Amino acid sequence: MFDSYTFKDDIKFRAKIIFGAVLLLSIALVVNLYWLQISNAEKYALLSDKNRIRLIPIMPKRGHIITSDGKIIAGNICRYKLTMEQCSEKAFQENLSFLGQYVELDEEDGVRIYDSRKKKFPFIVIKDGLSWEEYSKLSMILFKLNNISIENAYIRDYTMPFEFSHVVGHTSRSKNSLQIPTGKTGIEAVLNNSLIGEIGNIQTEINSIGKKIRIIDSQEPTDGKDVVITIDSELQKYVYDLLSQEKAGSCVVLDISNGEVLSMVSIPAFDPNIISNKLTQSQWRSITNDPLFPLMNRAVSCSYPPGSIFKIITAFAALSEKIVSPKDKVFCGGGVKLKDHVFHCWNRQGHGSVNLCDALRLSCDCYFFEIAKKLGIDTIVKYAQKFGFGTATGIELPNENSGLLPTKKWKFLRYGTSWKPYETMIAGIGQGAVLATLMQSAVMFGKLYAGNYDFSPTLIKDGKKNKLQNPINQEYLEIIKNALHQVCVSGTAAGSCRTDYGISGKTGSSQVRKIKTNEAGTNQKLVQWKLRDHAVFVGCAPYKNPRYVVAVLIEHGGGGASVAAPIARKIFDRLMKK
Amino acid sequence: MKSARLFPNEFKILFIILFLLLLIGFLGQYSAFDGQWRGQLERHIIRMIVGVIVMFGICAIDFKFWNNFAYAFYMFVFASLVIVDLLGIVKLGAQRWMDLYFFTFQPSELMKLTLILALARYYSMLSSTEALEFKFHVFPIFLMMLPTILILRQPDLGTAGLLIGVGASMIFLSGFPLKIFITFVISCITLCPFGWFFLHDYQKNRILTFFNPDRDPLGIGYHILQSKIAIGSGHIWGRGFLQGTQSKLNFLPEKNTDFIFTTIAEEFGFAGTLLVILLFLAICYFFFWVASESRAKFAKLMCYGLGVLMFLHVFVNIAMVTGLLPIVGIPLPFLSYGGSSMITFMISCSLVVSTLRQSKH
Repeated sequence: MFDSYTFKDDIKFRAKIIFGAVLLLSIALVVNLYWLQISNAEKYALLSDKNRIRLIPIMPKRGHIITSDGKIIAGNICRYKLTMEQCSEKAFQENLSFLGQYVELDEEDGVRIYDSRKKKFPFIVIKDGLSWEEYSKLSMILFKLNNISIENAYIRDYTMPFEFSHVVGHTSRSKNSLQIPTGKTGIEAVLNNSLIGEIGNIQTEINSIGKKIRIIDSQEPTDGKDVVITIDSELQKYVYDLLSQEKAGSCVVLDISNGEVLSMVSIPAFDPNIISNKLTQSQWRSITNDPLFPLMNRAVSCSYPPGSIFKIITAFAALSEKIVSPKDKVFCGGGVKLKDHVFHCWNRQGHGSVNLCDALRLSCDCYFFEIAKKLGIDTIVKYAQKFGFGTATGIELPNENSGLLPTKKWKFLRYGTSWKPYETMIAGIGQGAVLATLMQSAVMFGKLYAGNYDFSPTLIKDGKKNKLQNPINQEYLEIIKNALHQVCVSGTAAGSCRTDYGISGKTGSSQVRKIKTNEAGTNQKLVQWKLRDHAVFVGCAPYKNPRYVVAVLIEHGGGGASVAAPIARKIFDRLMKK
Repeated sequence: MKSARLFPNEFKILFIILFLLLLIGFLGQYSAFDGQWRGQLERHIIRMIVGVIVMFGICAIDFKFWNNFAYAFYMFVFASLVIVDLLGIVKLGAQRWMDLYFFTFQPSELMKLTLILALARYYSMLSSTEALEFKFHVFPIFLMMLPTILILRQPDLGTAGLLIGVGASMIFLSGFPLKIFITFVISCITLCPFGWFFLHDYQKNRILTFFNPDRDPLGIGYHILQSKIAIGSGHIWGRGFLQGTQSKLNFLPEKNTDFIFTTIAEEFGFAGTLLVILLFLAICYFFFWVASESRAKFAKLMCYGLGVLMFLHVFVNIAMVTGLLPIVGIPLPFLSYGGSSMITFMISCSLVVSTLRQSKH
């Protein structure tokens, strides 16, 4: 009895220890479950949804870019895309090796396929942009395959690639997995947000291997908005064909009545179709390594010394400041002496006694040296700014260059030296530090002939209207306008621009280097291409009721009168014929 | 005194708890089979019915029968373990099943029961003065270690661990010298790291992943992580019956067997898991209560052993699916899909019931 009594006592005590351990461990389980299911429930619910829900994007169609005459210059064309639904590993491998016989898959495709397989996207893109041959072969055997389908995909298509390359720009696939075309330059970049539309999506539930189970929700995409630009496709083509005979240059045609850009061409051009769709490394390198920088829009992103075009500003400033009257004459003997240095006129023989009209007509440098000296640089800059120099014109294009108007302050900050009197003289004829884009020169003409300081250019139809009026003094305008007309009747451009309807314009030859004393006036054709002057002509027609501004710049073309003006004349002829 | 009824009154309580657990198990299985009536689901129902019939049948056997044949059963099951070791079929990478032509069976499952019977038998013969001496405990340690080593060779770390857990607690209950017991436990814990070299690669991987689930999020850690996501996303009331996305969309591994608790936790939430744990605790408490009421030493020890076995199964299973223990393949009694475990726990219930009837005598 004693024996079993002590045993009972002992086992009771030890059983209590065991039962205590059982309770303790149970409490541990419950606490852990509380931690998982109550404290962290939200976190795990989120992870659970992340496991099972995939968003499949539905791409919107990118908006078209349409010319003012209704031609679609940037549209979308349908390409076929081969996709596979997620399936078992065996089916995946079988499909892949089977498809390998019909379509060519490169390394890049392989990486993408295995990446989307690993990430469990419900659909794997096997190949984007099937060739017609691949498409027809595949559609014959598609019924034999499970989980494989051919879908439509849209890629950007530029119908006039070279003519519009700088205006329209190009797109490239976005870096994220969506691979949506995104504008990189030109209108494509500036209006990207409205062109791109809104991406739709299908919310699908997938299982652990990524196979689609059901659709939870879907949202239709909103296609991008079409954009109508002010450029006329036929005129653009005409201008492009004219300019493409030159090595490098640009042209801008403006409508004075509303500031619309009717044509904008930059040479050399590039093919945005190549850049936007499957660009190879070597193609990209050949474009970026081209010494003529075909990607650069020379009309707005590149600034040159405006040359003689700038004399209009100097003349207008002198009239406004009442430094000269139209009748005042200056004697040009082929050069102006300042201290020991002689600043030559382009005509070494000299123009004799010239008034303001003659000076503009013959583009006499000496006359403007003299009045620039009297005006001073800050006054010249004040008037240049009024006509839009030194600030971007606000055209709807990226990377616009704002040019440069040098002032005393600018020089001090930049070079730490004081402004020299001869620099004012050189600035007065648009050389030296003065820089302007061709667009700025064209806009200056637009302001002159619209008689409105607030004239501004636009590329988008029904975009901004030139509602603001900030009139220019008519008295001085008439003097300038008359002189500019004389340029094309009996002046520097008389050879190519004498017409029935009447062109008013100004030639310019902007120097790219310092001219040595003995070289002034040498035949530009004999000078090495890279060292030749840029040939510029900016003009307006018709004489009565001026309507169009044409600005032409040929890089290293030589003389404005001999190279740029004839091109402008052809463009004017075509504009007037319409 | 009334003559003992075949099924004493208290049996009703056990039967109700059992019924609730089987019901939850059925719902879990139905859901884990994607809410479709499948052949496998029918097999689970048949197993439940057969299990209950077996339980009722074995209840009728007097526990003295178990006392008398304890060593014989032990020898028989041990022999079948040896046979499995020599020519058992390989399933899921481990040799656990014996092919009996009409169904496959795991002798290691039965070993748990027969070890309890054999230990209870041995200690019922031992006087309490003898129990205080270490030398009388050498034989039971042998009884425990022999099958454990065979099962480790299969390899089945989980079952081997359970055998040691059950065996050790029974040896402890029977008066194993406390000082030696404590020294032994401490030295075991310190020697644990050396056991590392005897582990298979997949076992090492599981343990490494257990300590750092991010080590291999798409490999072994995937199971633990997905299981935790499923349990955690259940919140208080669960996603609702048949609404568990983790189990429906196959993110859960082994959702019918080892991870059935996860399926239930996802669909019935914290409320469901708490209920399951409480029901199991009630069963364990019932077993312990019967043990403490019992006057026969053999029956007393057997019931304690069965209670500990039940609890260890529940604890290890829930702990491993919630990430507290490495995944070792221990099923949840009555709920997991599989015949061996169902029969084992039904038998242990009937052993307890027959003890209860005996003590009411």
